[in-house]
Amino acid sequence: MTDKNPCENAGGPIDIHAYLGEFDDIPGTRVYTAKRARQGYHLNQFAMSLMKAENRERWKADERAYLDEWPMTEDQKLAVLARDYNRLLDLGGNIYFLAKVFSTDGLSFLQAVSTMTGMSVEDYQAMMIAGGRSPEGVRSIKEHR
Amino acid sequence: MARITHGIACSHIPALGVASDFDKWEDPYWKPIQEGFAPTQKWEAENLPDVVILVYNDHASAFDMKIIPTFAIGCGESYKPADEGWGPREVPVVEGHPDLAWHIAQSLILDEFDMTIINEMDVDHGLTVPLSMMFGKPAKWPVKVIPLAVNVVTYPPPSGNRCWALGEAIARAVESFDEDLNVQVWGTGGMSHQLQGPRAGLINREWDNMFLDKLSGDTQELRCIPHIEYLRETGSEGIEMVMWLIMRGALGKETRELRRFYHVPASNTAVGHIVLEPVNGEVPPSTTVEGNNAEAQNLID
Repeated sequence: MTDKNPCENAGGPIDIHAYLGEFDDIPGTRVYTAKRARQGYHLNQFAMSLMKAENRERWKADERAYLDEWPMTEDQKLAVLARDYNRLLDLGGNIYFLAKVFSTDGLSFLQAVSTMTGMSVEDYQAMMIAGGRSPEGVRSIKEHR
Repeated sequence: MARITHGIACSHIPALGVASDFDKWEDPYWKPIQEGFAPTQKWEAENLPDVVILVYNDHASAFDMKIIPTFAIGCGESYKPADEGWGPREVPVVEGHPDLAWHIAQSLILDEFDMTIINEMDVDHGLTVPLSMMFGKPAKWPVKVIPLAVNVVTYPPPSGNRCWALGEAIARAVESFDEDLNVQVWGTGGMSHQLQGPRAGLINREWDNMFLDKLSGDTQELRCIPHIEYLRETGSEGIEMVMWLIMRGALGKETRELRRFYHVPASNTAVGHIVLEPVNGEVPPSTTVEGNNAEAQNLID
């Protein structure tokens, strides 16, 4: 056994700033970084609370009143009420937490995810059945590939 | 002595759980997937292990933003299916194997993997969907399960290299357990998928199959893939594939592929599945637990 680290030549040491900086170069994607996790903390914890049946009942009875129990920003609350998932991602939401909101609405992942793509559910589902979105051209903004 | 007999990787798409729970497998959309897994179900029944170490990620079910363990191991007696917002899946309670789990937890910590130990938690689709895909709908799961949860949601997740090394440490831990047990290691999640933003729906068939190819043989290339490559090539949720590398690392130096299935789509995701057998299960010695071992010392020098 002579290999010390099989990856030591795989791109050099990791610089945290370069590591995080690359995430902004992916088109149409919000990587859930520490910065977003901090910004969206209460938004995500609100969403998490909908895992309990009794909370779901209170939420359905009066969404605005339920949101006002959480120390979220007004922008976050309005985006939740509008079910604007792209906006919620920008405001620190994470899709697995936001899933508690759309599953409470009775939407599947496919239905909810399609709303973020600007496509109708039918067109989105047809794209998936045809093999999904190609990575061609959406890997990197800078490198146009 | 306990031994690792096989490794299995399997997507854990929630929609597969729905297809199983509501008997949709005959539906034309789901039929190809049912046919893809049927031979493995038969194989698995004939090669049933005593215990499965099931590597998965929690999807905001047991863990919320309050606590985010990078690697956590379940040492409890049993785990209930989680209510993920639709009510819990109607699948059997998952029975643990606390003796082996605690042994592995202790071994890993002495081996410098600083594990979080979980005694009570509910388990979500990440863990229960692979059980449904391998075992169908039994009244009771036919194996004991040790949940091993990995953070792949909040960045940074562990590197592929670290995951592989954890797998090697799991192999050392299993081998030092006195009871005569057959153990499988399952890596779950993936393959390419993106569930968020305008780029949602991304699928990369070519990359996924490259990944499946390189799980067999003695190549270690996969452990060196950086996070940014998963993100660019396989979508933001494709990062789950680092969990497959824990399974691969646990199988040792060289593996052989017994079965493979790949299908697009299930919901938003590429379904990937592979069964691997160790050809040479040797793993490097621990640099701490076996610190006086000459080979281990060479690794440190």
